[in-house]
Amino acid sequence: MKTFQSRNRFGRAALSALAIMTVTACGGGSSSTGGGLGSGDLLVGVIAPFTGADAGLGPAYYAACLAAAPAINNNGGVGGRNIGCQQFDTRGEPADAVPAANAMIASHSNLMAVVGCTSDEAATVAPIIDRSHIPMFCMTGQSEFNKTALKYFHRLVPADVYDAFAMVGSALYGPNHAPYKKAALVFGDDIGSQAFVQPATNALTKLGGTIAINQPIHLGASSYRTEVAAMLKTNPDVILTEALGSAGTYLKEVKTQNGGKMIPFIGSSATIDPVWFQQVRDAIGINDLLKYYAGVDLGYTFSGPAYTEFLANLNAAASQFSEAPKYKQRGSTLHLYDGIIMTALAMVATNSADPKVYNSKIIDIANGTTGATTVNTYKDGVAALHAGKSIRFVGAGGENNFDQYNNSQSGYILVAYDKDGNEVTAGTLTPDQTAKLIAAGG
Amino acid sequence: MDLYLAAFGFGLVSLSVIAIGAVGFTMQFGITNMINLAYGEVMISSAYVAYYVNRAGISIWIAMIAGAVFGAAFSFLLNRIVYAPFLAKGTSHIGMVIVSLAVSLMMANLLLPIVGYYSVSYQNSTGDLIRVGSIILTTNQIAIIAVAVALMLLIHGLLRYTRLGKAMRATSANPTLARNCGIPTQRVVDMVWVITGALCGLAGVVAAMDSDTFAIANGATFLITILAAAVLGGAGQPYGAMIGAVLIGLITELSAAAWSPQYKEVVAFGILVLVMVLRPQGLLAKRGALAAAG
Repeated sequence: MKTFQSRNRFGRAALSALAIMTVTACGGGSSSTGGGLGSGDLLVGVIAPFTGADAGLGPAYYAACLAAAPAINNNGGVGGRNIGCQQFDTRGEPADAVPAANAMIASHSNLMAVVGCTSDEAATVAPIIDRSHIPMFCMTGQSEFNKTALKYFHRLVPADVYDAFAMVGSALYGPNHAPYKKAALVFGDDIGSQAFVQPATNALTKLGGTIAINQPIHLGASSYRTEVAAMLKTNPDVILTEALGSAGTYLKEVKTQNGGKMIPFIGSSATIDPVWFQQVRDAIGINDLLKYYAGVDLGYTFSGPAYTEFLANLNAAASQFSEAPKYKQRGSTLHLYDGIIMTALAMVATNSADPKVYNSKIIDIANGTTGATTVNTYKDGVAALHAGKSIRFVGAGGENNFDQYNNSQSGYILVAYDKDGNEVTAGTLTPDQTAKLIAAGG
Repeated sequence: MDLYLAAFGFGLVSLSVIAIGAVGFTMQFGITNMINLAYGEVMISSAYVAYYVNRAGISIWIAMIAGAVFGAAFSFLLNRIVYAPFLAKGTSHIGMVIVSLAVSLMMANLLLPIVGYYSVSYQNSTGDLIRVGSIILTTNQIAIIAVAVALMLLIHGLLRYTRLGKAMRATSANPTLARNCGIPTQRVVDMVWVITGALCGLAGVVAAMDSDTFAIANGATFLITILAAAVLGGAGQPYGAMIGAVLIGLITELSAAAWSPQYKEVVAFGILVLVMVLRPQGLLAKRGALAAAG
């Protein structure tokens, strides 16, 4: 029999262990004004969750970098300097993200750009990266970045509020169904997912709908039986959701408790993702996924010379990361690929490896200046710059239109999946519908 | 009221899953004096072993045995190759906790490139839906409850009525005296790792079945709940772990019905902290199955 002392020791050690685990359990012209591009390899830091509940996010961004690297390296590099990619795992937790960001900056003097920084960690890592004068492309929709003062911060996707408006638009105006007026909001309890709740509530209620239940669910929980029972009691027409990592568990429970029948569910643009697709398909079956799921996404064409080159490089990246080709229609992968290429072009345009010099040129190359030549690939961009032209880069993710706060805006489309997990366009929102949604959402 | 009754029924499933894992975990400590924080990773590894067997077309109920066998073999080897040498060198308790945490992190990171970050699901029907009043359970969930009850009875029988069980209790009480009395304590400790490893493997598979989808990150989640149940019930006390599992399982589900579900774990762990303040030795510290053999 153990003594009391050993039990208390167990208790103390176990509580210490719990504490430990909780901390470890979110174009311009070729001005050539710079001081030269230097030598040695350059690095793109991919700072994102690679483990934890949001572990599905990091690989999408890493794939973007692996595709961008050969697009640059096979075409002369950045003034002869090749670029490489390195993962920095934030575990999706601000507490882990800060040391990851500090380690990334302290250990790598050759950082040319940082990509990733999701809503889980952007608020904590973006100021750190900004202070180090490294251009970053963040996949966060948080409203605090709508008018950010961080000069090195760039966002290639709209704020989450627009994603939320598009989801409500899909519910009210989507094709092939009567308006869904009564919605259950089932979003993860992480910072990023909760950003959808208020704008979705505002937009839906002011356009005549009601919120059946607002249910923040704890991501990574082993089951959601009681949550689903509570949600089903409210008889919603539709579920609006972003609960990455837990969607399969939740939706399977919906199907089980609802007698084997799903109810329609509308996902944010983050649900256009191969990890999400596989999880939900395996949980509820492909037929129910195709029948009951609707999503929203930015209006990608998945065609054209920029996309063709992106796709070729992404497929080639399979030699380093076998899952890379699965991200061929992941919006964030396309955008971050473009962001890295724009940064490389900005370095060439300014003939500088100093981010304080080339950072501002990124916006010029993305938005274009008067008389700029449109280019779609790094190779064409470098050629145009060397010919003394100013350029506008329109990449795999389409045109960019940065505002003064380095936020690039574009419109949404209504989408679904096909049986292979490819995105298919299901409809669009008219300008009038979009205006109504934005006015209602506030 | 309907929702609370439904939550109570769901709580029975949760507590069954937790109980299997918590009893194995607490027996490991009770007899070997080892707080094994790699337990959650062994659980998830076993769940993946069962997944690959299941994917080969074999029923998950048979694949569950493969998970248990893996858990038993891996735990035995883990102790022999990693933990025992450290203990032999006189590593302190907190030192062993850190060693097991290191093993846990290594396992998680070694497993990631093998199984990937994708969530997976067993190929298994959820079974028919059974409604008893407001309580709704699937036949699979009822089977999980039955498996848990059977295992708890087996553990009770093992500890109370077998020579091995008595040897375990003697080793737990005083290993030196037990050795001097002719009990082969090393062999007993090996058997403890095999038995608790099998429980760990089974717990991993039923927890993964219960979740419908699971991924590598679930290992840490499983462990936190199991550790809480073990601490709540009393260190090294299998019956205490069972009671801890009942409390944690029911409280999490009932609090999800009563308040916002995002607070369900906050409520459960709040009660754990309260119990630790009022009764640091846990609920059943004085009257345990691992009390000295009489």
